[in-house]
Formats: sequence, C-alpha cells, structure tokens
Amino acid sequence: MSSAQIQALEIGALAKIMNELDYYQLLGVDPTATPAEIRKAFHASSRNFHPDANRRLDLELRNQCAQISKRVTEAYCVLRDPRRRRSYDARSDGDKNLRIQIAEAKNADRQQAKAERRGRTPQGRQFHAKAEADIKKGNLAGAIQNIQMALTFEGKNPGLESLLEELRARKKQNA
Amino acid sequence: MAEIAVGIDLGTSNTCVALMRGGNVEVLDNAFGERTSASVVHFHEDGSVEVGNSAKAKVIHAPAQTVSSAKRLIGRYYFSEEVKKAEAIYAYEIAEAPSHGVRIEVRDEEFSLPEISAMVLREMKQIAERHTGEKVTKAVITVPAYFNDNQRQATKDAGRIAGLEVLRILNEPTAAALAYGFGMGLNQRVAVYDLGGGTFDISVLEIGKDIFEVLATCGDTFLGGDDFDDRLIDLLADEFVASEGVNPRNDPFAYEKLKLAAENAKKQLSIDEEVLVSIDDLMLGEDGQQRSLARTITRAELATLVHDLVLRTFKVCDEALQQADLTVRDLDGVILVGGPTRLPIVREAVAGYFQQEPRTDVDPDEVVAMGAAIHAASLVGEAQDAMLLDVTPLDLRIGVAGGLAEPVIERNTPVPIEQTRTFTTFQDHQESVQIRVYQGDHRQAEDNALLGQFEFSGFQNGLRADVKIDVTFEIDADGIVNVTASDQATGEAASTQITLSSGLDNSEIERIIDEDRTGRVATAGVSTERLGDEVAPLASPAATAPPSFAAPEASSETGNTDVTVVEDPGPDLELDSGADDDELQIIDDEELIELTQPGSLGAEDVTLDVQTPSDESDDDGFFDSAGLDLSEGDADFDLELEDEEK
Repeated sequence: MSSAQIQALEIGALAKIMNELDYYQLLGVDPTATPAEIRKAFHASSRNFHPDANRRLDLELRNQCAQISKRVTEAYCVLRDPRRRRSYDARSDGDKNLRIQIAEAKNADRQQAKAERRGRTPQGRQFHAKAEADIKKGNLAGAIQNIQMALTFEGKNPGLESLLEELRARKKQNA
Repeated sequence: MAEIAVGIDLGTSNTCVALMRGGNVEVLDNAFGERTSASVVHFHEDGSVEVGNSAKAKVIHAPAQTVSSAKRLIGRYYFSEEVKKAEAIYAYEIAEAPSHGVRIEVRDEEFSLPEISAMVLREMKQIAERHTGEKVTKAVITVPAYFNDNQRQATKDAGRIAGLEVLRILNEPTAAALAYGFGMGLNQRVAVYDLGGGTFDISVLEIGKDIFEVLATCGDTFLGGDDFDDRLIDLLADEFVASEGVNPRNDPFAYEKLKLAAENAKKQLSIDEEVLVSIDDLMLGEDGQQRSLARTITRAELATLVHDLVLRTFKVCDEALQQADLTVRDLDGVILVGGPTRLPIVREAVAGYFQQEPRTDVDPDEVVAMGAAIHAASLVGEAQDAMLLDVTPLDLRIGVAGGLAEPVIERNTPVPIEQTRTFTTFQDHQESVQIRVYQGDHRQAEDNALLGQFEFSGFQNGLRADVKIDVTFEIDADGIVNVTASDQATGEAASTQITLSSGLDNSEIERIIDEDRTGRVATAGVSTERLGDEVAPLASPAATAPPSFAAPEASSETGNTDVTVVEDPGPDLELDSGADDDELQIIDDEELIELTQPGSLGAEDVTLDVQTPSDESDDDGFFDSAGLDLSEGDADFDLELEDEEK
C-alpha cells in the first residue's frame, strides 16, 4: 500500500471513531498531560488534519480532515485552559459526555457585571463595601449616600448606577 | 508547471501584491515602478476604470468619480455609522441597496463594494501577470484580524469577482509574522502591532520552526492613520476658519486639497522635525478673493494632536496580552506593520509600551503582502509548509430572549471550530423559528454586528419542551461562519452560509462575473494578447498617462481620507428588533433562554433566565415576572450580600 493509501485509511478510521473519543484521546495525550504536551500534540495533529495541510487530498478525505480538525481544535481549546479543563474533568457521566460547550462568556459576563457593581476603583469599592454594611443594618439612606460617593470616583459605572436606582426605589417603597 | 499563487494585501489606503518564486519573495511593482498602489478606483467618462496612485490623483478634479477607502465600507450595512460617516465626507455617491446593502453610484452606474474592491484586486492580478507573463488565478488575500464574517465574506467575493480563486483569507498580523519568521527556525513569542490607514490590530503569536500559532488577537476597526490626518485637517481647518472666516470643509475641492496636504505633512514629519503646510488659493473668501493657507507644524505638535489615539492602541494591546495570559516581558519581539508605524511618535510610544525596540528589519508597508505570498506558495506546494493556526477575533453569538445574544464561540478561540447547541421553541406548536447570528462582545444583541438571519421551519410540530432543534455553528480557517439548523426528530435541515443581507448572493456574483463588470480595469503595461481574453483590454488613454501624483516611496499612507472617529457604532435598530419574530430558547444545562413570536408577547413580557445560576429554570413562573431589570438586579444584589456574609 502506498503512503497515500495508508494516510487515507487513517483519516477515514479516525473520522469514524472520533465521536467515541474524549478530548485526551483525540489529542493522543495522557489525562495528566502538561499544557506544553497538550500544545505539542495539537501542533502535531494540525500538521495532519488542518485544512491547509490537506489541499492535495480528494474532496471526501478533505472533508473528513476538516471534521477531525474542528474536533481536535475543540479539545485543545478546552484542555489548554485550566478552568475549562477542570470543568471537563469534573463533568458528570464522563463516559457518555465526551464533549462540553466551550463558551463560558455567560459566566464571565455575569462575573464582570458583578465585579462592576462592586466598583472598579479602590475608593469605589471602599464606598460600595460601606453601602453594603448599611444595607445589612437596614440603613438605606446611608447606603444611597455611600453609593453616590462611590460613583464620584467611578465615573460612569452602569452597575453601580442601577444599584443606586434600586436602593432609591426600595427606600421609596419603605417610606 | 509550477502553479502561480500570489499574496495580496488589500489595504484601506494602499494595496500590495507579492509572489514567492524559487524560494524568494518579491514585491511586484506596477507599471510605474511603485511597490504599492493606492486602493483608489477612478471612473473615466468613457466607462473605463483606472486604479492606483494615478487614479488617486484624480480625486482633486473629479472627487465624485473617484472611489477611495472602499475597505471601510465593505461588508457593512447602509445604516451603520461607518457608512453615514463616509456619506458625509466622500464626494462619491453612496446609495442604499435592497436589504440594507451599500452601493456606490458613479456616472449613473451602481457598484457593490465587492465590485469596487475587485477592481483593485484585478489591477494586482494584472500586475502579477505582467511580471510572470502567465495568467494568475490564485491568491491569498489578507484582511484585518478584527474583520467580522461579513467583511471577510465580502472580501472573498471581491476576489472571486476579480477572477481569483481565493485560497485563504489571512489575517494581516498573522501574515506579517509569517514574513518575519518563515524559514528562520525561530522559537519566539512576538507581538504584531498593525496600525493601518483605517484599522488597528494587535496579535500575539508563538512562532515555532514551522508552526505559527496566534495566541490572541484584538483590534479596533475605527482607528487608523486616517484619524491622525483628521486631527491635522481639523487643526488647519479651524485656524483657517478663524483667520479667513470661510470653512474649507464646506468646499469639496478645498477639502480634498487640505486632506492631501495634511497627509503629506504627516508623512514628512516622519523625516523632519517640522514641516510647512502651504496651499495657495485654497478657496475663495467672503469678499470673492482667493485665500491661501500657510502653517508650520512641528513633530511635537503632531504628537500632542494624536497622543490619545496612540494611547488607545495600547488599551487594545493590554487586552490582547491579557487574553494571551502574557506580559510584555514574555515577548521576544515586536513587529510593526502599516504606514503610520513609520511615525517616530508611534515608534517611540511602542518601544516604551513594550519595553523593547520594535524590529526594523521588516518593511511595514510590504510585510503583509510578503507573508500572504509565502502562505500562497505553501498552499500550492511551491514552498515548504508552515502551519498557521489562527483564532477568531470576536465572540460568535446567537440571538435569544429579551434582545440578548448568547455566546457560542468566544473570541480568541482557535479556528477551524464547530459547536452545536440545542434549542427548543418558545411556544407550543410554534411553526418556525428565526435564527439570528451575531459577532461581537456585547450581551445586548443590538450592540453586536448581525451576521445574518434565517428562518427554520422544517421541525416537528409539538409542545415547546418536546421540540429540539440543533443549531451548528462553524467557523472555518478563513474566519468565515456557517450555520446549520436541524431537527433531531425529523432530520429536517436548513443551512446557510451566513451572509450579510447587504452582501451579494451567489447568482449576483455570477452575473457580475458573466457581465465582466469589473473587466474594464485598464492597467498600463499589460500585454493583453499573450494572456488571452481573461485580461481586460488596454482601453483608456488615461491609463497610459504617467502618474501625476504620489511617488512610490511616499505611497505608504496615501489615500487616507476619513475625518472623524466614531467609537460607538450604535445600535443597528432596523434589523435587531429583538422580540418581534419567532424566536428560540436554548436548552443549556439547567438554564433556559427563550424568545417569542410576533404579536404574542410584547418585549416587556419576555423574561430571561440567565442571571441566577442557581435558578432551576422553573417553566411556570417563567413568563410571569415583567420588569426584567429590577428582578434581575435584586437577585444579583442578594447574591452579592450572601457572598459577603460567607
């Protein structure tokens, strides 16, 4: 068999079983692999399956390579990122769920909005903390004052501004 | 016989073509010996078309027939800020096409933006044919890394219209890194600082022996050398108004003169400490007498004028480094790309920011085309392989309940990649869903660029929880997006290459090619007989005239034409109508996200359930709470307090 035929067989076989492989198996690395090993494996795989590496194959093989390449990229995307890798390793029913969604921005968005609400500047955060203490004590007027102070340091901060509005609404309700 | 495949850097201001032959990369000069040509298209009265620096020179006399900076408009909607801005400052006619597209009207003819860009590309193709004596039909074309799918697709269409098979749409900074590191056996981390005429990109790459991996890329498509010119124009114009009482901005001819003078002054300040801007008879004063302008500008003055613009680029650099999880100390080199990086002000600021001198061994105007040529040669087997592993610059999002857009593939994810999400309908027995795909960093759908939308109706009719629609998002190695929807139950599928409604569909492209609408680009010095009918005849006498403007060495930033920076493109109100169509909900772990059908529920009734992770997405009560903001705010606030108590 020529090397081209062997290559074709390998591509076909991998395309068939790729749905049954987890990300480590796809990249051909150990579950304990280091980030450097993961990157190296991704590079090696890209040399074989990236669309630029396969222009001279026939259409069917190119399509199979494209499928493999996308899946390998997904595996790399998850395993190279410590947070994603942790959540992948911790997934439930790992034998059945071989893939996870890569987008986490929803969380990130939420965290960012939350962080923004706490203040972006040291002084802003300080006054926000005071406001929180006031809220615990039920002192809405004090909280409002402190958030206003925080805003003088923060400039435009939609998170804090909406918090201020909420507090004012609550105070109105209470009154 | 070896296949010829060229690399083309299709710039906002200038375009450059290069070819790799026998292991060497050459920048191919045009018939006038210029190594870059202005990306300007001039339409002659006889219908012929001229491209390049000589076309650019025509702008002073025939501004309405001379189209520049098409790259700023390509792949954009008519109602976008960038198009409005262009309408205000360009003398050529910009019109609205069906589906919010953009057309350029010149001499009673309409052209799409891909057609205008195709004319520039055709000029490059003909330059390459003049050099090789053979037909050139394959090319790698570069785009700013921060270009979205619409802009990439439109650029690819331009290539096709120009008679080129586009082997790859390549990111400019990646191309530059390839030109810098190809065949050098390096093992380095580098930053590519790419400040062009109209856009800014920063990419951080890891360069290995034969692998170029982009770690992160960030950019600003509203920041470039043109904005530097604008600051100078404003200074000159304001002073002229103050001293002469008339405004050159209101006179298209005076304005073009001022623009050219500002641009040349900026370039001269790369060489000299000060420059005298002198324009005789700029325009008529109120008394009917000609008024002239003379003003000395120093390098320090320019530095002050553009200081904030340069600082803005470093904010973008901060972001890229953060995304790559690196600091400037981790970088082994900094590569400068784009004409404006010749400015000492920019070089010094870059050296300060990165704490190292940028590389000076690459030509910032040619390095991108050279990289594209290397990749083109590698793709047709003319050069050793170098793998380019690139990333997508923007979040890919799908429109969901409440006018929001949920990320499916985040920015700086390597490509090619594919993700599938499962959705259900919003209502029982819903017959169709509208799938909207966006690119951008914003949660509010309307703040992102809408890539396209399509209706999917082939799914099983059923209760909303029973209907499961798989939507697959793919980003290919060109950064171009494909979306497919299918129903798990019926196997029914609908797919679309997400194309901008203002873009061209396949039949339009074929018609343009059939009619050879861009075939009239008359290039000086091309022998047509030898190359056959693909090449346009040498038609216009004007094309053979010597260029009246722009020496080749001065061409780096010529053609910079825009005036104001608009940072916030604003909401695309007309299309992103939020909840007035059939919409979707995502089945995503525990969380449900829904959109609605027209008329059934007003936008204020739509509640979204993504705020509180602990929420069980209880289906009852899901539609009850109006006033999304407050309830969501409260929940969030309470959560924060709980955290504090812990």
